[in-house]
Amino acid sequence: MNDSRYCDNPDVLISYLYEDGPGEERLAFEAHLRQCARCAAEVASLRAVREDLAAWAPPETVLDFRIVRDPAPVKSRWGWTSAMPAWAQLAAASLVIGVAAGISGLEVRYGNDGLIVRTGWNQPVATRPADATPVAQAEGADAPWRADLAALQEQLRGEIRQSVPAAGAMPVSMAAAGGGRAMSDAEFLARVKQLVEASEARTEREMALRMAEVVRDMDAQRRADLRRVADGIGVLEGRTGAVTVQQREMMNYLMRVSQK
Amino acid sequence: MTVTDEELVARCIAGDTESFNQLILRWERPIYALAYRQLGREEDARDVVQDAFLRAFRALPGFKGEAKFSSWLYRITLNLCRDVMRRAKRAPFVQAPEGVDVGDLVSTETTAAESIEDVVTRKDLGRHVARAMSRLPEEQRAAILLKEYHGLTFQEIAELQGCPLSTVKTRLYQGLTVLRRELQRNGTSTARSESRTP
Ligand SMILES: [Zn+2]
Repeated sequence: MNDSRYCDNPDVLISYLYEDGPGEERLAFEAHLRQCARCAAEVASLRAVREDLAAWAPPETVLDFRIVRDPAPVKSRWGWTSAMPAWAQLAAASLVIGVAAGISGLEVRYGNDGLIVRTGWNQPVATRPADATPVAQAEGADAPWRADLAALQEQLRGEIRQSVPAAGAMPVSMAAAGGGRAMSDAEFLARVKQLVEASEARTEREMALRMAEVVRDMDAQRRADLRRVADGIGVLEGRTGAVTVQQREMMNYLMRVSQK
Repeated sequence: MTVTDEELVARCIAGDTESFNQLILRWERPIYALAYRQLGREEDARDVVQDAFLRAFRALPGFKGEAKFSSWLYRITLNLCRDVMRRAKRAPFVQAPEGVDVGDLVSTETTAAESIEDVVTRKDLGRHVARAMSRLPEEQRAAILLKEYHGLTFQEIAELQGCPLSTVKTRLYQGLTVLRRELQRNGTSTARSESRTP
């Protein structure tokens, strides 16, 4: 019997073979199979093919690939900051972002009360526009911002040295101002204001210098951690060039997420 | 209760990388099997497994869950297999050389009920299946692999392959027909019912 609804109809045949579709359709096709030798033979032979396919198994292999965004490097990178007051941790974090983004001047903010640590210098350390140093560039061992950081540290040291005499003279001046009555109240206040400002400028510079050092240390630690992670993957899987490229991509990804 | 793939995906997006490693543990064998059967080479298949999970990990934040995680992973895997085939500019399937040790091609695992003879027969058949599969066009082979070895629904395969449901069924039908012809020609197949059925 040749029923055009069923004979040479892959859709119906395959659905039946894989037990797909509504039950009444299957029953109807089964009724057809009882009457159509050709369709019955087709079903039987394709069933047999399916049975044969079960004999094909992939060879055993070792699969030990894992994603390693190891929490340990994060801890070691930030572990020391737990000894710092919260505001300093926040300031350090802001500084990391600032430096990594290629911002040449420093303005470290913390908290919602608007307390700001400024470096106070006027000349930008870097001459390159900020947008020329995307975060991604910070991934390279010779990232340009690292030179900026070194220059910044040097500038800060210089400024601190220059401010030392003024700061050193401060107690004497204060004593003079407090001891001698020749100075007017207005003069005294102006002098105190000046001294406080000098003191603040020095403190700010020292803090900025410490921050820059902290950034440098953190960066070194971060790169060491990531190199260790990279080496770990290399031992596990490093074989072909393609794999190496993948690992590099993965490292780049890890570095980006670790900077978030 | 077992954590679902989707829950693990959500945890990973929230920053828990270890959840993704659980997904790897759960899916690396099926992904390897798919890649191996599509490519026919163990080393290539292993590379694809790694690459597939790396890509999935990176793309995870953009995974909206419109498909099952596994289907999404299968699609990534098949795309990578296609890349491998194109890069190598070689036949889409590396064929087993004649006289190859069957142990190289098929798993050495045996079930308790199997005799040594059975194992040899099964391995021999497995080798012939592998060779027959190599005759199939890529899309047909992928459809058969996803259905036979991974149990995807026709609808899932259609979404994964980006084609209508009827095309999936046609691919399966044509693929099985070619396999039947190849296995019969080879003489090892049990698929000889055309001659034995009334
Ligand atoms: Zn019929």
